[in-house]
Amino acid sequence: MEDPLHPFELHTYIPLSLLGLDISINKAVLMMLLVVGAIILFLTKARSSGSLVPTKLQSVAEIMVEFIRGIIHDTMGPEGMRFFSLVTSLFLFILFSNLLGLIPGSYTITSQLVVTGVFAVAMYTLSILLGLKIHGPKFIKAMLIPSGTPPFIVPLMIIIEIISQLARPISLAVRLFANMTAGHVIIGVLVGLTMSGGLLIGWLPFSFTIALYGLEVGIAFIQAYIFTILACVYMGDAYHLH
Amino acid sequence: MPQFDSHFFSSLIFWELISFGILLWVLSKFALPPILEALETRERKIRDSIDQAEQSRTSAEQRLREYEAKLRGAAQEAEAMLAEARTKSQRMLEENEQRLRAESERIKAETTQEIDRERRKALQDIRGEAADLALLVAEKVLVRSLSDDDNRRFAQEALQSVSADHSASGQA
Repeated sequence: MEDPLHPFELHTYIPLSLLGLDISINKAVLMMLLVVGAIILFLTKARSSGSLVPTKLQSVAEIMVEFIRGIIHDTMGPEGMRFFSLVTSLFLFILFSNLLGLIPGSYTITSQLVVTGVFAVAMYTLSILLGLKIHGPKFIKAMLIPSGTPPFIVPLMIIIEIISQLARPISLAVRLFANMTAGHVIIGVLVGLTMSGGLLIGWLPFSFTIALYGLEVGIAFIQAYIFTILACVYMGDAYHLH
Repeated sequence: MPQFDSHFFSSLIFWELISFGILLWVLSKFALPPILEALETRERKIRDSIDQAEQSRTSAEQRLREYEAKLRGAAQEAEAMLAEARTKSQRMLEENEQRLRAESERIKAETTQEIDRERRKALQDIRGEAADLALLVAEKVLVRSLSDDDNRRFAQEALQSVSADHSASGQA
Protein backbone atom coordinates (compact mmCIF):
# COMPACT_ATOMS: atom_id res chain seq x y z
CA MET A 1 0.00 0.00 0.00
CA GLU A 2 1.19 3.46 -0.88
CA ASP A 3 2.31 5.76 1.90
CA PRO A 4 -0.57 8.26 2.48
CA LEU A 5 2.00 10.94 3.34
CA HIS A 6 3.68 10.52 0.00
CA PRO A 7 1.76 13.44 -1.62
CA PHE A 8 3.36 15.83 0.87
CA GLU A 9 6.89 15.00 -0.12
CA LEU A 10 8.85 17.67 -1.96
CA HIS A 11 11.69 17.23 -4.42
CA THR A 12 13.96 19.92 -5.68
CA TYR A 13 13.33 20.55 -9.37
CA ILE A 14 15.66 23.44 -10.02
CA PRO A 15 18.38 24.09 -7.44
CA LEU A 16 18.75 27.81 -6.71
CA SER A 17 20.43 29.75 -3.99
CA LEU A 18 20.45 33.41 -3.01
CA LEU A 19 23.14 34.72 -0.68
CA GLY A 20 23.70 31.24 0.62
CA LEU A 21 20.00 30.71 1.14
CA ASP A 22 18.48 27.69 -0.55
CA ILE A 23 15.63 28.92 -2.71
CA SER A 24 15.35 25.91 -4.96
CA ILE A 25 12.24 25.47 -7.06
CA ASN A 26 10.09 22.54 -6.01
CA LYS A 27 6.48 21.49 -6.51
CA ALA A 28 5.16 23.71 -3.73
CA VAL A 29 6.90 26.74 -5.17
CA LEU A 30 5.44 26.03 -8.59
CA MET A 31 2.00 25.74 -6.99
CA MET A 32 2.45 29.08 -5.24
CA LEU A 33 3.19 30.76 -8.55
CA LEU A 34 0.27 28.92 -10.14
CA VAL A 35 -2.05 30.04 -7.32
CA VAL A 36 -0.96 33.65 -7.72
CA GLY A 37 -1.42 33.39 -11.49
CA ALA A 38 -4.87 31.84 -11.10
CA ILE A 39 -6.03 34.53 -8.68
CA ILE A 40 -4.77 37.33 -10.89
CA LEU A 41 -6.38 35.72 -13.93
CA PHE A 42 -9.67 35.30 -12.05
CA LEU A 43 -9.77 38.90 -10.87
CA THR A 44 -8.63 40.32 -14.21
CA LYS A 45 -11.31 38.37 -16.04
CA ALA A 46 -13.85 39.38 -13.42
CA ARG A 47 -13.20 43.07 -13.74
CA SER A 48 -12.65 43.13 -17.49
CA SER A 49 -16.25 44.00 -18.29
CA GLY A 50 -16.46 46.68 -15.63
CA SER A 51 -20.02 47.40 -16.67
CA LEU A 52 -22.77 48.38 -14.31
CA VAL A 53 -24.64 45.15 -14.94
CA PRO A 54 -22.17 42.50 -13.83
CA THR A 55 -21.21 39.39 -15.73
CA LYS A 56 -21.29 36.05 -13.92
CA LEU A 57 -17.61 36.07 -13.04
CA GLN A 58 -17.83 39.71 -12.04
CA SER A 59 -20.73 38.83 -9.74
CA VAL A 60 -18.64 36.11 -8.11
CA ALA A 61 -15.75 38.50 -7.60
CA GLU A 62 -18.09 41.18 -6.27
CA ILE A 63 -19.78 38.76 -3.88
CA MET A 64 -16.33 37.81 -2.62
CA VAL A 65 -15.30 41.43 -2.27
CA GLU A 66 -18.54 42.19 -0.42
CA PHE A 67 -17.93 39.18 1.78
CA ILE A 68 -14.44 40.29 2.75
CA ARG A 69 -15.62 43.84 3.21
CA GLY A 70 -18.28 42.48 5.56
CA ILE A 71 -15.67 40.57 7.56
CA ILE A 72 -13.50 43.67 7.87
CA HIS A 73 -16.42 45.89 8.86
CA ASP A 74 -17.59 43.38 11.45
CA THR A 75 -14.21 42.87 13.06
CA MET A 76 -12.24 46.08 12.55
CA GLY A 77 -14.85 48.59 11.54
CA PRO A 78 -14.59 50.94 8.56
CA GLU A 79 -11.01 51.94 9.51
CA GLY A 80 -9.94 48.40 8.71
CA MET A 81 -10.61 48.96 5.02
CA ARG A 82 -6.98 50.05 4.62
CA PHE A 83 -6.14 46.37 5.04
CA PHE A 84 -8.68 45.34 2.45
CA SER A 85 -6.12 44.36 -0.17
CA LEU A 86 -4.05 42.43 2.35
CA VAL A 87 -7.03 40.53 3.74
CA THR A 88 -8.36 39.79 0.27
CA SER A 89 -4.96 38.56 -0.90
CA LEU A 90 -4.65 36.38 2.18
CA PHE A 91 -8.12 34.92 1.76
CA LEU A 92 -7.72 34.26 -1.95
CA PHE A 93 -4.21 32.83 -1.56
CA ILE A 94 -5.35 30.34 1.06
CA LEU A 95 -8.59 29.53 -0.75
CA PHE A 96 -6.93 28.94 -4.11
CA SER A 97 -4.13 26.93 -2.44
CA ASN A 98 -6.70 24.73 -0.75
CA LEU A 99 -8.82 24.31 -3.89
CA LEU A 100 -6.01 23.80 -6.40
CA GLY A 101 -4.40 21.39 -3.96
CA LEU A 102 -7.44 19.16 -4.33
CA ILE A 103 -6.61 18.51 -7.98
CA PRO A 104 -4.97 15.08 -8.07
CA GLY A 105 -1.28 15.34 -8.80
CA SER A 106 -1.01 18.93 -7.58
CA TYR A 107 0.41 20.07 -4.29
CA THR A 108 -1.45 21.63 -1.36
CA ILE A 109 0.72 24.54 -0.23
CA THR A 110 -1.34 25.05 2.90
CA SER A 111 -0.48 21.54 4.06
CA GLN A 112 3.01 22.90 4.81
CA LEU A 113 3.14 24.12 8.40
CA VAL A 114 5.91 26.54 7.55
CA VAL A 115 3.70 28.22 4.94
CA THR A 116 0.68 28.59 7.21
CA GLY A 117 3.06 29.54 10.01
CA VAL A 118 4.48 32.45 8.03
CA PHE A 119 0.98 33.77 7.35
CA ALA A 120 -0.12 33.28 10.94
CA VAL A 121 2.96 34.89 12.48
CA ALA A 122 2.87 37.72 9.96
CA MET A 123 -0.79 38.53 10.59
CA TYR A 124 -0.39 38.22 14.34
CA THR A 125 2.69 40.45 14.34
CA LEU A 126 0.84 42.95 12.20
CA SER A 127 -2.02 43.02 14.71
CA ILE A 128 0.41 43.65 17.59
CA LEU A 129 2.24 46.38 15.69
CA LEU A 130 -1.07 47.96 14.73
CA GLY A 131 -2.20 47.95 18.35
CA LEU A 132 1.05 49.52 19.48
CA LYS A 133 0.81 52.16 16.77
CA ILE A 134 -2.77 53.08 17.64
CA HIS A 135 -2.73 52.83 21.45
CA GLY A 136 0.97 52.85 22.40
CA PRO A 137 2.18 50.87 25.43
CA LYS A 138 -1.36 50.91 26.82
CA PHE A 139 -2.13 48.25 24.23
CA ILE A 140 0.23 45.71 25.84
CA LYS A 141 -1.32 46.37 29.24
CA ALA A 142 -4.85 45.96 27.86
CA MET A 143 -3.75 42.83 26.05
CA LEU A 144 -2.26 41.15 29.11
CA ILE A 145 -4.60 42.40 31.82
CA PRO A 146 -8.26 42.29 30.89
CA SER A 147 -10.21 45.21 32.33
CA GLY A 148 -11.88 44.47 35.65
CA THR A 149 -9.25 41.99 36.81
CA PRO A 150 -8.86 42.02 40.62
CA PRO A 151 -5.30 43.16 41.48
CA PHE A 152 -4.29 40.00 43.33
CA ILE A 153 -4.70 37.75 40.28
CA VAL A 154 -2.96 40.13 37.89
CA PRO A 155 0.30 38.09 37.83
CA LEU A 156 -1.63 34.94 37.08
CA MET A 157 -3.66 36.72 34.40
CA ILE A 158 -0.49 37.97 32.75
CA ILE A 159 0.85 34.42 32.48
CA ILE A 160 -2.46 33.10 31.17
CA GLU A 161 -2.81 35.94 28.69
CA ILE A 162 0.74 35.49 27.40
CA ILE A 163 -0.03 31.84 26.79
CA SER A 164 -3.30 32.67 25.10
CA GLN A 165 -1.61 35.32 22.97
CA LEU A 166 1.12 32.89 21.92
CA ALA A 167 -1.55 30.31 21.18
CA ARG A 168 -3.10 32.64 18.65
CA PRO A 169 -0.54 32.36 15.82
CA ILE A 170 0.21 28.75 16.66
CA SER A 171 -3.44 27.70 16.56
CA LEU A 172 -3.98 29.76 13.42
CA ALA A 173 -1.10 28.01 11.66
CA VAL A 174 -1.78 24.53 12.96
CA ARG A 175 -5.52 24.65 12.30
CA LEU A 176 -5.09 25.27 8.59
CA PHE A 177 -2.12 22.95 8.21
CA ALA A 178 -3.77 20.11 10.12
CA ASN A 179 -7.08 20.41 8.30
CA MET A 180 -5.47 20.33 4.91
CA THR A 181 -3.07 17.54 5.80
CA ALA A 182 -5.74 15.41 7.46
CA GLY A 183 -8.13 15.69 4.54
CA HIS A 184 -5.49 14.65 2.06
CA VAL A 185 -4.23 11.87 4.29
CA ILE A 186 -7.73 10.42 4.64
CA ILE A 187 -8.29 10.61 0.90
CA GLY A 188 -4.86 9.05 0.38
CA VAL A 189 -5.67 6.23 2.78
CA LEU A 190 -9.00 5.57 1.11
CA VAL A 191 -7.43 5.59 -2.34
CA GLY A 192 -4.83 3.14 -1.03
CA LEU A 193 -7.59 0.91 0.28
CA THR A 194 -9.36 1.11 -3.08
CA MET A 195 -6.20 0.05 -4.85
CA SER A 196 -5.49 -2.87 -2.50
CA GLY A 197 -9.15 -3.89 -2.12
CA GLY A 198 -9.66 -4.72 -5.73
CA LEU A 199 -13.01 -4.71 -7.52
CA LEU A 200 -14.80 -6.84 -4.96
CA ILE A 201 -14.53 -4.46 -2.00
CA GLY A 202 -12.62 -1.53 -3.47
CA TRP A 203 -15.77 0.34 -4.55
CA LEU A 204 -16.62 1.04 -0.92
CA PRO A 205 -13.56 3.15 -0.01
CA PHE A 206 -13.68 4.62 -3.51
CA SER A 207 -17.21 5.92 -2.97
CA PHE A 208 -16.01 7.41 0.31
CA THR A 209 -13.28 9.31 -1.52
CA ILE A 210 -15.95 10.90 -3.72
CA ALA A 211 -17.94 12.01 -0.69
CA LEU A 212 -14.77 13.20 1.00
CA TYR A 213 -13.80 15.25 -2.00
CA GLY A 214 -17.07 17.13 -1.67
CA LEU A 215 -16.37 17.63 1.98
CA GLU A 216 -12.84 18.77 1.25
CA VAL A 217 -14.09 21.45 -1.14
CA GLY A 218 -16.27 22.76 1.67
CA ILE A 219 -13.36 22.58 4.11
CA ALA A 220 -11.18 24.47 1.63
CA PHE A 221 -13.63 27.38 1.79
CA ILE A 222 -14.28 27.12 5.51
CA GLN A 223 -10.61 27.03 6.47
CA ALA A 224 -9.79 29.98 4.26
CA TYR A 225 -12.68 31.84 5.86
CA ILE A 226 -11.64 30.87 9.40
CA PHE A 227 -8.03 31.88 8.85
CA THR A 228 -9.09 35.22 7.38
CA ILE A 229 -11.70 36.07 9.96
CA LEU A 230 -9.40 35.16 12.86
CA ALA A 231 -6.63 37.30 11.43
CA CYS A 232 -9.19 40.11 11.15
CA VAL A 233 -10.40 39.53 14.71
CA TYR A 234 -6.83 39.83 15.99
CA MET A 235 -6.38 43.05 14.07
CA GLY A 236 -9.78 44.19 15.31
CA ASP A 237 -8.51 43.71 18.87
CA ALA A 238 -5.77 46.17 17.98
CA TYR A 239 -8.41 48.73 17.04
CA HIS A 240 -10.79 48.15 19.91
CA LEU A 241 -9.28 47.62 23.35
CA HIS A 242 -11.30 45.68 25.86
CA MET B 1 6.02 13.71 8.21
CA PRO B 2 7.52 15.16 5.05
CA GLN B 3 6.24 18.63 6.00
CA PHE B 4 8.78 18.84 8.78
CA ASP B 5 11.73 18.31 6.49
CA SER B 6 13.56 21.52 7.24
CA HIS B 7 15.56 21.25 4.06
CA PHE B 8 12.76 22.96 2.13
CA PHE B 9 11.82 25.62 4.71
CA SER B 10 14.01 28.37 3.36
CA SER B 11 12.83 28.05 -0.21
CA LEU B 12 9.19 27.68 0.86
CA ILE B 13 9.30 30.80 3.02
CA PHE B 14 11.19 32.75 0.40
CA TRP B 15 8.85 31.87 -2.44
CA GLU B 16 5.79 32.29 -0.26
CA LEU B 17 6.84 35.83 0.57
CA ILE B 18 7.69 36.54 -3.06
CA SER B 19 4.51 35.11 -4.50
CA PHE B 20 2.31 36.65 -1.82
CA GLY B 21 4.08 39.95 -2.32
CA ILE B 22 3.39 39.81 -6.04
CA LEU B 23 -0.23 38.91 -5.38
CA LEU B 24 -0.69 41.70 -2.87
CA TRP B 25 0.92 44.23 -5.19
CA VAL B 26 -1.12 43.24 -8.23
CA LEU B 27 -4.35 43.05 -6.29
CA SER B 28 -3.97 46.34 -4.47
CA LYS B 29 -2.69 48.18 -7.54
CA PHE B 30 -4.74 46.76 -10.38
CA ALA B 31 -7.32 44.12 -9.58
CA LEU B 32 -9.23 45.24 -6.52
CA PRO B 33 -9.71 49.00 -6.99
CA PRO B 34 -11.84 48.62 -10.15
CA ILE B 35 -14.01 45.99 -8.48
CA LEU B 36 -14.47 48.10 -5.37
CA GLU B 37 -15.13 51.10 -7.53
CA ALA B 38 -17.69 49.21 -9.62
CA LEU B 39 -19.41 48.12 -6.44
CA GLU B 40 -19.46 51.60 -5.06
CA THR B 41 -20.64 53.05 -8.35
CA ARG B 42 -23.47 50.56 -8.43
CA GLU B 43 -24.35 51.26 -4.83
CA ARG B 44 -24.33 54.96 -5.51
CA LYS B 45 -26.40 54.49 -8.65
CA ILE B 46 -28.97 52.40 -6.84
CA ARG B 47 -29.13 54.86 -3.99
CA ASP B 48 -29.47 57.74 -6.46
CA SER B 49 -32.20 55.92 -8.35
CA ILE B 50 -34.10 55.29 -5.15
CA ASP B 51 -33.66 58.91 -4.10
CA GLN B 52 -34.84 60.07 -7.49
CA ALA B 53 -37.85 57.79 -7.41
CA GLU B 54 -38.67 59.09 -3.96
CA GLN B 55 -38.34 62.64 -5.21
CA SER B 56 -40.56 61.96 -8.21
CA ARG B 57 -43.14 60.39 -5.96
CA THR B 58 -43.09 63.37 -3.61
CA SER B 59 -43.43 65.84 -6.45
CA ALA B 60 -46.20 63.80 -8.05
CA GLU B 61 -48.05 63.72 -4.76
CA GLN B 62 -47.61 67.43 -4.35
CA ARG B 63 -48.86 68.03 -7.88
CA LEU B 64 -51.84 65.80 -7.19
CA ARG B 65 -52.61 67.79 -4.06
CA GLU B 66 -52.33 70.99 -6.04
CA TYR B 67 -54.67 69.71 -8.71
CA GLU B 68 -57.12 68.52 -6.12
CA ALA B 69 -57.04 71.90 -4.45
CA LYS B 70 -57.52 73.58 -7.81
CA LEU B 71 -60.39 71.26 -8.62
CA ARG B 72 -61.96 71.99 -5.26
CA GLY B 73 -61.50 75.71 -5.88
CA ALA B 74 -63.13 75.41 -9.29
CA ALA B 75 -66.05 73.49 -7.82
CA GLN B 76 -66.46 76.15 -5.15
CA GLU B 77 -66.32 78.85 -7.75
CA ALA B 78 -68.94 77.12 -9.85
CA GLU B 79 -71.07 76.73 -6.77
CA ALA B 80 -70.68 80.39 -5.97
CA MET B 81 -71.50 81.36 -9.53
CA LEU B 82 -74.55 79.18 -9.48
CA ALA B 83 -75.70 80.66 -6.20
CA GLU B 84 -75.15 84.15 -7.52
CA ALA B 85 -77.09 83.39 -10.68
CA ARG B 86 -79.86 81.97 -8.59
CA THR B 87 -80.10 85.06 -6.37
CA LYS B 88 -79.85 87.29 -9.40
CA SER B 89 -82.66 85.52 -11.18
CA GLN B 90 -84.68 85.56 -7.97
CA ARG B 91 -84.11 89.24 -7.62
CA MET B 92 -85.00 89.84 -11.24
CA LEU B 93 -88.13 87.82 -10.82
CA GLU B 94 -89.11 89.79 -7.76
CA GLU B 95 -88.33 93.07 -9.47
CA ASN B 96 -90.38 92.07 -12.48
CA GLU B 97 -93.24 91.03 -10.29
CA GLN B 98 -93.07 94.27 -8.40
CA ARG B 99 -92.85 96.27 -11.58
CA LEU B 100 -95.77 94.42 -13.13
CA ARG B 101 -97.81 94.79 -10.00
CA ALA B 102 -97.07 98.50 -9.91
CA GLU B 103 -97.94 98.81 -13.58
CA SER B 104 -101.20 96.95 -13.17
CA GLU B 105 -101.92 99.01 -10.08
CA ARG B 106 -101.27 102.13 -12.08
CA ILE B 107 -103.40 100.96 -14.98
CA LYS B 108 -106.17 100.02 -12.62
CA ALA B 109 -106.01 103.38 -10.93
CA GLU B 110 -106.01 105.16 -14.24
CA THR B 111 -108.92 103.08 -15.47
CA THR B 112 -110.85 103.71 -12.29
CA GLN B 113 -110.19 107.40 -12.65
CA GLU B 114 -111.27 107.29 -16.28
CA ILE B 115 -114.41 105.41 -15.44
CA ASP B 116 -115.13 107.82 -12.65
CA ARG B 117 -114.61 110.75 -14.90
CA GLU B 118 -116.80 109.24 -17.60
CA ARG B 119 -119.43 108.39 -15.07
CA ARG B 120 -119.36 111.87 -13.68
CA LYS B 121 -119.56 113.30 -17.17
CA ALA B 122 -122.44 111.02 -18.10
CA LEU B 123 -124.24 111.95 -14.91
CA GLN B 124 -123.75 115.57 -15.70
CA ASP B 125 -125.01 115.01 -19.21
CA ILE B 126 -128.02 113.14 -17.92
CA ARG B 127 -128.63 115.85 -15.40
CA GLY B 128 -128.56 118.53 -18.14
CA GLU B 129 -130.78 116.49 -20.37
CA ALA B 130 -133.19 115.82 -17.56
CA ALA B 131 -133.41 119.52 -16.82
CA ASP B 132 -134.04 120.28 -20.47
CA LEU B 133 -136.71 117.62 -20.53
CA ALA B 134 -138.34 118.97 -17.43
CA LEU B 135 -138.32 122.45 -18.88
CA LEU B 136 -139.82 121.20 -22.09
CA VAL B 137 -142.51 119.20 -20.29
CA ALA B 138 -143.29 122.16 -18.07
CA GLU B 139 -143.56 124.38 -21.08
CA LYS B 140 -145.99 122.09 -22.79
CA VAL B 141 -148.02 121.66 -19.60
CA LEU B 142 -148.10 125.37 -19.10
CA VAL B 143 -149.17 126.08 -22.69
CA ARG B 144 -152.26 123.99 -22.45
CA SER B 145 -153.99 124.16 -19.12
CA LEU B 146 -156.28 121.36 -19.17
CA SER B 147 -158.11 118.97 -16.92
CA ASP B 148 -156.32 116.75 -14.71
CA ASP B 149 -156.89 113.96 -17.10
CA ASP B 150 -155.91 116.12 -19.96
CA ASN B 151 -152.93 117.35 -18.05
CA ARG B 152 -151.87 113.91 -17.33
CA ARG B 153 -152.50 112.88 -20.90
CA PHE B 154 -150.70 115.93 -22.25
CA ALA B 155 -147.91 115.48 -19.93
CA GLN B 156 -147.72 111.92 -21.02
CA GLU B 157 -147.84 112.92 -24.65
CA ALA B 158 -145.31 115.62 -24.12
CA LEU B 159 -143.07 113.24 -22.33
CA GLN B 160 -143.47 110.75 -25.10
CA SER B 161 -142.82 113.30 -27.76
CA VAL B 162 -139.88 114.65 -25.82
CA SER B 163 -138.51 111.23 -25.38
CA ALA B 164 -139.22 110.53 -29.04
CA ASP B 165 -137.48 113.75 -29.90
CA HIS B 166 -134.77 113.02 -27.63
CA SER B 167 -134.34 109.56 -28.97
CA ALA B 168 -134.63 110.93 -32.52
CA SER B 169 -132.07 113.56 -31.76
CA GLY B 170 -130.01 110.95 -29.93
CA GLN B 171 -130.26 108.75 -33.00
CA ALA B 172 -129.43 111.60 -35.25
